[in-house]
Amino acid sequence: MTKTLSLLEKSKKTVINETRKVLAQGGLVVFPSDTVYGLLVDATNENAVKKLIRFKNRPHGKAISVFIPDLNNLHQYVQVDHRQDKIIRTLLPGPFTVILKSKHQTSKLLESENGTLGVRVPFYPLIFDLLNIYQKPATATSANIGGRSPHYSIDSLLKYIPQEKQNLIDLIVDGGKLTRNKPSTIVDLTNPKIKVLRRGDVELKNPTTYISQSAKQTQKIACFLVGKYQSKTDGKPLVFIIQGDLGVGKTEFVKGAATNFQITNIISPTFVVYYEYEINTGKLEFGTQKFYKFIHYDLYNIEDAEEFRYLGLDEALKDGSIVFIEWGEKLGEEYKKIKKQAKAIYITIKHIDRQTREIHVAEQGV
Amino acid sequence: MIILAIDTSCDETSAAVTKGQMVIANVVYSQVLVHQKWGGVVPSLAKRGHEERIDWVIDSTLKKAKITKKDLDYVAVTYGPGLAIALEVGINKAKEIASEFDKKLIAVNHMEGHLYSSFVQNSRGNPKRDWQFPYLGLLVSGGHTELVLFSSHVEYQILGETRDDAAGESLDKAARMLGFGYPGGPVIEKLAKEAQNVDQYHFPRPMVKINNLEFSFSGLKTSFLYYLQKLSDQEKIKNLRFLASSYQEAVFDTLVYKTNQAIKKTGVKRMLMGGGVAVNARLRQKVRALVRTSGGSIYFPPFSYLNFDNAAMIGVAAYYRAKIGLIVQSADEFDRVPRLSLLQSTKN
Repeated sequence: MTKTLSLLEKSKKTVINETRKVLAQGGLVVFPSDTVYGLLVDATNENAVKKLIRFKNRPHGKAISVFIPDLNNLHQYVQVDHRQDKIIRTLLPGPFTVILKSKHQTSKLLESENGTLGVRVPFYPLIFDLLNIYQKPATATSANIGGRSPHYSIDSLLKYIPQEKQNLIDLIVDGGKLTRNKPSTIVDLTNPKIKVLRRGDVELKNPTTYISQSAKQTQKIACFLVGKYQSKTDGKPLVFIIQGDLGVGKTEFVKGAATNFQITNIISPTFVVYYEYEINTGKLEFGTQKFYKFIHYDLYNIEDAEEFRYLGLDEALKDGSIVFIEWGEKLGEEYKKIKKQAKAIYITIKHIDRQTREIHVAEQGV
Repeated sequence: MIILAIDTSCDETSAAVTKGQMVIANVVYSQVLVHQKWGGVVPSLAKRGHEERIDWVIDSTLKKAKITKKDLDYVAVTYGPGLAIALEVGINKAKEIASEFDKKLIAVNHMEGHLYSSFVQNSRGNPKRDWQFPYLGLLVSGGHTELVLFSSHVEYQILGETRDDAAGESLDKAARMLGFGYPGGPVIEKLAKEAQNVDQYHFPRPMVKINNLEFSFSGLKTSFLYYLQKLSDQEKIKNLRFLASSYQEAVFDTLVYKTNQAIKKTGVKRMLMGGGVAVNARLRQKVRALVRTSGGSIYFPPFSYLNFDNAAMIGVAAYYRAKIGLIVQSADEFDRVPRLSLLQSTKN
């Protein structure tokens, strides 16, 4: 009998506890994620994995990825050398599945024919919390039958999955309608050259350069990048200095970043130079520093560095601020101040063709 | 009801003394500068230095109105939308005066000021325009583009607004791409007029097909950029007027299309326009044509200065807020709201 739990702010603890119990008993759980609804089973439990494969009609030898509790535990499950570690730390946590040589600590049924394993560390508080309590990896595969589309809501899932399959599910965690993010980008790191096996929302050329094919994708990349740096500020304000020509998507980048803070009304601040948004901190909890203010500068109309005297940059560079500065190249001397007082990330967006943009990220400016 | 109004929402430091709908005095700092000090050019250093000039602006306004702070009934101030650090200067000054002279404060949304700007009268009480609610307001400026249902005094509903660039900003940026300085809107208007406002290039009308009243001008900006990149400098210079004209047509057609949709959706045919872009003769022509075909009417701000940032319109909006008792309850808690929406200022 399938049990369903609704995911609400107040029911979070119960959901995590119940899921943990079901996983420990070898059960199959439908669970929300940063991408689509996924199927969780204990990745170290052979019988549970078999049940999952039966559900998915998965041919043998076709790999299934796993969620790892913590980036620092990764080497327990897969072989990671220095080069790979560096790349992994730029991608995870995030919407990526990274393929590495397995250490066979999880069920062999999850591996590919070459003995590789796909690992995910999502930027998704609920899974992070669950696995940190459970302390074992869980499978990370979409809750659909092989070859069918993934699901973004429980309604659609129940509608399209036949009853006999549904009977295999032990627990459904209903997180409502998920944001329509694509499944993760799959990156094979087992060869010297990085290979992208499946394109998700965040596509990369190399670990510091991302590729966007649309304004929406620029937003998704920004959302990922900002989420990543949010917890790495050493208590300082976080400043993104954004450069790129007119029409390259700088404001789209900021829009995407703002979604991390539930801010949905970003517009171009060109005319007023900057807009300030309050962050409702009640909603943020996942290993992130607390931010209170989201400040969006656009220096397009700045002609004279003297104008900074009237632009409140000192005010902006306070603890608890996350700041985005479009046309960052106009910062002049103020740039040194930012470098000193804040954690600065440099984003350069380039036109490649009409649709395509390259988004370059650097922690040290040039 | 004598109100001292202050607006420091962006570049301009402005104060006004109003009595009901009448403006007794209105001072905008940069205009004074242009006329008196620098002979036409506002140095960029003077931009946004509200702190350094607010006292002077207020004192001049009161002097012009021949009153003192004691004579005031209320102090009104813009608390958003706008530049945080600039808004702060006006609010702090308003609080200071209110506290020293024991006056009540009125918090005004800059955009409601623009809505009321068509009903601002000079010191003789002209023009006399009757109120015939509801109105459909089209507010277009360098920083804003929105369609508002103005159903009665201090009652607003946003029908649509921009998701990215404002219409005025879009025109400014196009001018910059063509090699002109800021502000570019008037340059585009002039070039377009020289080309008889023809639409030679048919740039995309952003979001015209989508069935809502939201605006988006950033895509148009990008397609313009790509088009220009394909042209040689010579071609660009040769076709300058046609490029400007076609771009302006794309922006204005979008505004007119969405306005027409709003008229159809709400059934409201009496229109108001406000904001800096509303002085553009081509836009006025297009909106007037729309009003004619829909059988409605339209008011523009009666004096040109009312299109731009000014405290006079803030004073008039404040008058209608005060009339229904919408005054600031606690000065201590009263703060700027940089992304203030009209939805936060409506009485219901």
